[in-house]
Amino acid sequence: MKAKQLSKDPFNIIITGVGGQGNVMASRILSNMLVNKGYFVTIGETFGASQRGGSVISHIRVSSRSAWGPLVPKGRGDVVVTLEPIEAIRVLAHYGNPAVEVLANTRAVYPASVTAGESTYPTFEEIKEMLKKLAARVWLIDATDEAVKLGNSILSNIIMMGALSAVGHLPIDQDDFTAVISRTLPLDKIADNLQAFALGVGMMKEKRRQER
Amino acid sequence: MDGKGLNRGQEVLRKHVLDAYLCTGCGACVDLCPYNRSYRGKIAVLFPCVIDEGRCFAYCPKIEVDLDELSMRFFGKPYDGNPLGAYQSITAAKAGHRIKDISPQAGGTVSALIYFAMIKGYLDGAVLTDRKGLLPVPRFVTHPGDVLGCATSKFAAAPTLSAVNHAVKEEYGNIGFVGTPCQILATALMRSNPLQGDDFIDPFGLVVGLFCTWAVDFRLFEPFLAERIEIDRIRKIDIPPPPAEILEVFADVGTRLEIPINEVRELVPKGCSYCIDMTSEFSDLSVGVMEGRPDMNTLIIRTDRGRRIVEEAEREGYLTISKLPEENMKHLVWASGNKKRRALVKAQGEGMVNTETDAEKSYLRMSAEVLERLIA
Amino acid sequence: MSYLTDKEEGTSYLVMGNEAIVRGALEAGVNVASGYPGTPSSEIIDSLAKVASELDLYVEWSVNEKVALEVAAAASFAKLRALCAMKQNGVDVASDFLLHLAGTGTRGGIVLVACDDPGALSSANEGESRYFARMMEIPLLEPGNFQEAKEMTKWAFELSEEIRQIVFVRSVTRISHASGNITYGKLPEKKRRAEFKYDGLILDPDEGVMVSPPVGWKHQRQQEKVKKVREMFEESPFNTYQGPERPDLLLITSSACYLYSREAISILGLEDRVGLLKLGTTWPLPPKLLTKHLLKTDRVMIVEEVLPFLEDHVKILAAEQAFEVGVKTFYGKNDGTLPMSGELNPDLVIAALSTVLGIDYAPVSEDYEQSAKLFASVGAPVRDLVFCAGCPHRASFFSIHNALELDGRKGFVCGDIGCYAMANRPTGYRTLKTLHAMGSGTGVASGFGKMGQFGMDQPILAVCGDSTFYHAVMPALVNAVHNKADITLVVMDNSGTAMTGFQPHPGVARNALGQEVPGVDIAKISEAIGARVEIRDPFNVQETRETLNNLIEDKNGAKVLVLRQACALSPQRRNKKNYDVRVDQTICVGEVCGCGRFCTRIFRCPGIIWNYEKKRAEIDEVICAGCGVCADVCPQGAIIREDVPKR
Repeated sequence: MKAKQLSKDPFNIIITGVGGQGNVMASRILSNMLVNKGYFVTIGETFGASQRGGSVISHIRVSSRSAWGPLVPKGRGDVVVTLEPIEAIRVLAHYGNPAVEVLANTRAVYPASVTAGESTYPTFEEIKEMLKKLAARVWLIDATDEAVKLGNSILSNIIMMGALSAVGHLPIDQDDFTAVISRTLPLDKIADNLQAFALGVGMMKEKRRQER
Repeated sequence: MDGKGLNRGQEVLRKHVLDAYLCTGCGACVDLCPYNRSYRGKIAVLFPCVIDEGRCFAYCPKIEVDLDELSMRFFGKPYDGNPLGAYQSITAAKAGHRIKDISPQAGGTVSALIYFAMIKGYLDGAVLTDRKGLLPVPRFVTHPGDVLGCATSKFAAAPTLSAVNHAVKEEYGNIGFVGTPCQILATALMRSNPLQGDDFIDPFGLVVGLFCTWAVDFRLFEPFLAERIEIDRIRKIDIPPPPAEILEVFADVGTRLEIPINEVRELVPKGCSYCIDMTSEFSDLSVGVMEGRPDMNTLIIRTDRGRRIVEEAEREGYLTISKLPEENMKHLVWASGNKKRRALVKAQGEGMVNTETDAEKSYLRMSAEVLERLIA
Repeated sequence: MSYLTDKEEGTSYLVMGNEAIVRGALEAGVNVASGYPGTPSSEIIDSLAKVASELDLYVEWSVNEKVALEVAAAASFAKLRALCAMKQNGVDVASDFLLHLAGTGTRGGIVLVACDDPGALSSANEGESRYFARMMEIPLLEPGNFQEAKEMTKWAFELSEEIRQIVFVRSVTRISHASGNITYGKLPEKKRRAEFKYDGLILDPDEGVMVSPPVGWKHQRQQEKVKKVREMFEESPFNTYQGPERPDLLLITSSACYLYSREAISILGLEDRVGLLKLGTTWPLPPKLLTKHLLKTDRVMIVEEVLPFLEDHVKILAAEQAFEVGVKTFYGKNDGTLPMSGELNPDLVIAALSTVLGIDYAPVSEDYEQSAKLFASVGAPVRDLVFCAGCPHRASFFSIHNALELDGRKGFVCGDIGCYAMANRPTGYRTLKTLHAMGSGTGVASGFGKMGQFGMDQPILAVCGDSTFYHAVMPALVNAVHNKADITLVVMDNSGTAMTGFQPHPGVARNALGQEVPGVDIAKISEAIGARVEIRDPFNVQETRETLNNLIEDKNGAKVLVLRQACALSPQRRNKKNYDVRVDQTICVGEVCGCGRFCTRIFRCPGIIWNYEKKRAEIDEVICAGCGVCADVCPQGAIIREDVPKR
């Protein structure tokens, strides 16, 4: 299958969050959706120590022409999807540029040093401010809140994937998602995940409609 | 944590008292919080606390002790440096005929007083010092019968005040306390509402102080004795009055050991050499040995409530009072004065008295004239 | 059925580098696989174990890497194909056997896969395994992308069988843990039968005994193999060149650095100026191939990680060929163009190329960079690594720390490798004071324990995990007991090899294949060695602390305290709370004297959060694992734990 041309090639997506939030699963699912559409995809990740409360980053390189390395070069992030708000700020320090777009889950996970009173966590307003100054477009998504309503907070990563698909840079949709998870997830988990993805798509479509 | 910059918290306490080896292990700072603990006779700080003004600092008898303030509060007059402290009268004393089943150190006066106060309901509990093997351990008793089991001197410093902290947390309001001069000084600090809380209540119903010239560090004392005798066999330890110059250890099967006092002096914590109080000057009642009469005590009555209890106990046969001979009185004054002077000269010489500002923490604060007179 | 065993040739899958290696081994008809868990290699054995029953493989998590290699070697001696996988440090551990194995030679194809961790992303070091190939004189291959990871592994078995020698395939985190599309080849049909022949002549490689003497003769034979391989590498398809015939700069690279270099060249638009020579066969270097490319230009840059392994060998070759190739200017690590520590990335290669070729490149404006950096410094507080909520190590180190403070004699803990290695950070109250390799905590402690004669009076402790105990601690414990070293070893038994993904180990009654097997009991072994042994539940902090003080004061040689409590992520505890935990807001005093935010500031379990507005602690129900230890830690008794009703 010949892959559709991308607005930028390679197109660089960075998915970030805190260990244990489902970063790895999200990047796998997204990547498989893109592979099915004929793209060369490379994912760069680390496992192990990051599970223990540290920041995690998945670099996803998408290209219709060839496979690229597992690390996004400095300043070349195209879309940053974050499961935890300040991780986006951390990522943009190295991979951001004026054209980058950010999808941020709004639920904070406090670093140990903040809980211990050794450093401060920025206010929500401050986070919004900083992201808007560093990115061309910022979408704030209450993914965790919605995931909890669906019955499991870990579904927040799927909601974010749905939202990403509705931004429009990548030619992927709910059907592509369904195709991937029916192969990889156990039957009893599929319904919840489909619902979460659709929810994310809906939330993003609503936000984009409001922008116009 | 509150950033007032008072520097009256654990950090400064560590620097000026614990790390400076001034601590005598009285236990006033222990069990107020999860940070300070005592283990086998030594105070340990488990974790750093960043609170700017804490009770540990306020209660510690080795830092920022304003003698004038305390003397005004408890005796209504400034601190005048009297060798025996402020008092109303001094007598000889011993347990009365109604106290049975007691093996006291000397006259049994302390046990009799606490026992009496408890059976009369003046106290809802008493903090005493018991021992586990050779290790002195604080003990909070609520049954009068348990008092008598805590008799005899312990010689090693014990963190007895930690049991007061526990009892206060459990809302006991009339606590009896028996302790050494440094501990009694700490009780005075505790009773003076140092953190100026609005709902402060003095939890002590009766404070009985002991005479003390020095104590020994348990962690040095135990191996020291263990070299000479099995710890489990020890029944009683005593330091007979001069000119004996020995430490006596009474063990089972009639065994008695004599150890030269000079050897024992090596085991005394550094903090004791700065202590200016031989007779527990801030107590209600102070009790010590009576030279020449191993079966009796010297009793100093300092406050009204102390006097009332003594009089009642005597009336009801729990205490026997008699006149203290002039010779004993003179010697007591001389010995107390000596300890005070020696300690003050040392503390003053090391810049620990009346420091210029509050930023430079002082050990003691007192009137300059009194200080001059005492170290002259 | 796993996607790794898809029999259809030509299908494409998105796989992890480690999975590509596995597929390569499967396509080569591997029969036996062994290893020891180590990031970034663990998925290799994990994946092979998952398909073992389907494909009739034997897969083993061995007690340590040396034994793992010995197990794989046995398979090779029996004419089976074997793969042994480990992280960089595993090669250090296996090296003595590797040396001798390289001397005897092998039979069935055997491949050693070493996954290095440049930048120490999940290690306590960034050691280089490539030098072992040189030192042991065995062929070294480095895959430069995912397809190559598969192809190289497959070919390595063929090469190994041809030269009767073990082949070293070296991967790195950014290949092993990265993922990309690969196309599958065929899975073989043939089955092999195991038989160890030893009756042949002593020098017969197929039927003689497998002994390393006579050393002189066998070493020579080994070196003949190296010569032969060097010839073969001249034509290897794993060495590729992209770029002009006469480049300004020749860039020689291998492994993941190939991907960074390619991207750097593309970003800087240097396709016409820089020739990219990617080497997949990195020891021994094929001299004719290198000479051919060295003739192209006088400026050569070598891009690799971590140490200048390739660089030094290229320079040696250049020196040997000096009359033919002429004088070269080399850029690399030795001259500082590229860093000699840490991992590389496209940006470092861009910087190196920019410097050498005089190009200005700035990915973003100065303004943007300043703003982004400023915002990160104020808006993104660092996330330190912490023990999971409900981790038994937190409770253990809380007790160890307190026991040592109460003891008051400046006692210390010699640390070891595993999740509990994090105890050198605030999450473990900075308890560890030494940290080196597997088993080193006990070894170092055994040394400290003999310094009493020189006046050392500090109590000495060591910690290790259950997996670490079998791996390397046992001999050190024997040493401590036998030499009467006065130490206390705390074994943190959480029923699995947790840090790397909860693989089984000899203490667990289940193996890599999920079969029931005898568990080997740590407490019994310690007793048999002659230590005084106590067993406690670390969640019982009071009892644990008292036991520790008791053991520390016991001056009679080595003592072992086994703290037994399952890992919070283990099957028996994951998502299963023992207690419902909450903070009684009326009892919590928070910041005032008497508490000082003890639970959030000192104990630091991520399940407890501080409400800055209400100034009270709260339990985060999502994160809390329900272990209940904090209820014993709170000085006011404000934390309430209630039994979870059994369903």
